Amino acid sequence: MSFEEQVFPFITPKLRRALENLRRAVPDQWGKLEEIRLRAGCPLQVEMGQSMLVTPAGEPTTEPGFALRVTAEDVHRTLQLIGGNSLYTLEEELKEGFITLAGGHRVGLAGECLVEGGRLIRLKRVTSLNLRIARELKGIGRVLLPLLTRAGRPLRTIIISPPQAGKTTLLRDLIRSFSNGEELPAPVKVGLVDERGEVAGSFRGVPQLDVGVRTDVLTGCPKREGVFLLLRSMGPQMIATDEIGRPGDLDLIEEILNTGVGFITTAHAWDTKDFALRPSLRRLWARGLVERVVVLSRRLGPGTLEGVWDGRTREPIFSQVQRLEVRR
Amino acid sequence: MKVMGALLVIAAGGMAGWVYSTLLKKRWTMLQALIQAFQWLETEIGYASVPLGEAFMGIGARAPEEVKLILTTFAAALDGPAGLTADEAWQQSLAQNREALPLKVEDWALLADFGRTLGATDREHQVTAIRRTLERLKHQAAGAEEDYRKNERLYRYLGIAGGALVVLIFY
Repeated sequence: MSFEEQVFPFITPKLRRALENLRRAVPDQWGKLEEIRLRAGCPLQVEMGQSMLVTPAGEPTTEPGFALRVTAEDVHRTLQLIGGNSLYTLEEELKEGFITLAGGHRVGLAGECLVEGGRLIRLKRVTSLNLRIARELKGIGRVLLPLLTRAGRPLRTIIISPPQAGKTTLLRDLIRSFSNGEELPAPVKVGLVDERGEVAGSFRGVPQLDVGVRTDVLTGCPKREGVFLLLRSMGPQMIATDEIGRPGDLDLIEEILNTGVGFITTAHAWDTKDFALRPSLRRLWARGLVERVVVLSRRLGPGTLEGVWDGRTREPIFSQVQRLEVRR
Repeated sequence: MKVMGALLVIAAGGMAGWVYSTLLKKRWTMLQALIQAFQWLETEIGYASVPLGEAFMGIGARAPEEVKLILTTFAAALDGPAGLTADEAWQQSLAQNREALPLKVEDWALLADFGRTLGATDREHQVTAIRRTLERLKHQAAGAEEDYRKNERLYRYLGIAGGALVVLIFY
């Protein structure tokens, strides 16, 4: 099933028509579609390698005056469709600020919040939707596999990059490779704590994206509890988590190290310098808690590999800038 | 021959009265079935947080025939390709089934009201709306029962009497 078939039924018919026309008008760029953004009172916007507005006839434009205007009603209707016309089933999602669709695509939400006693209860009026297309690029991490393993065991790895440079896509593929035993003498049982549901793209608990045959996924669970639940119950040889960076995450990683299982995770940072300076992350770098640091950027497009560093010596071991691609 | 005709006219009058009194009974039983369905709905949404389409299909499968129609038409419209909101699908289902069902104008108005916030608010509010609709349905059902009990015989006799009157005038 193509992502259009998975995502379009949720978009209000007026916008759906414009997007379908856009798809026909610029098929090449359409293939690079990353996001569809709906904001009440603003033009319909898509990210296809570059940021573009869309006219009612479905042509790309940069001129807001020509673009199709999204109304509050369009946003509301789209949200209703996403929620199966049952907003009451989305209470948790309206608190977290995102919804996962079948196929692993994610819808980010923003708008007016309901707050009680200084705590966010939920979004009470949604005015911005960001439909992020989940792309599965199987084999994109293959070139890295020899660098991330030693003596048949995956090394403790962190992937760092700015937003939308392909961290999650690469993480997913590496998990899949380890779990399926690619380039390893024996496959690895992976426990994935997918707090934001982005890695496995679970829909009703079932991963929609391929994370390998030996991966147990815990969706929507806070990292700390999730990691210990998996360690207790599923006997993983490797723990994988989505983006770290909150206070407390580092302690968690130290505790995982103490248990002796491997781990792989991602963090938001521009490069190793930025990584070494971030208060929430620098301990990882300074104390050499990770064995490999993979750095991505968008320099040559999403998924540009800037290099791989040895986390212990803090020296680059691979510094050939290249675009990660699926090689068959 | 004349006697035969007279008897036929009286029988037809009686029949008309009987049909009308049956309609009163049907309205009452339909309102009762609706009450049952809304009580199920309250559980489905309030406790199990089941999405509307699934909840209405499930309840529709258990409900008596006349109520089933409204519920399943709604669930089907909701899943359709037109991208209708719950309110639009609900109003559409009511409009489609209006002719076939023995409800009064005020019953339809009550059901139409229920659709306004259907699916568009949080769980607490959905449950409040269902309970309010239940209260109103119970009130209508009580009225319908009284109507039926009080007037059942009246309409039947009135039918026969009406037939007899026609016979008297034209005999």
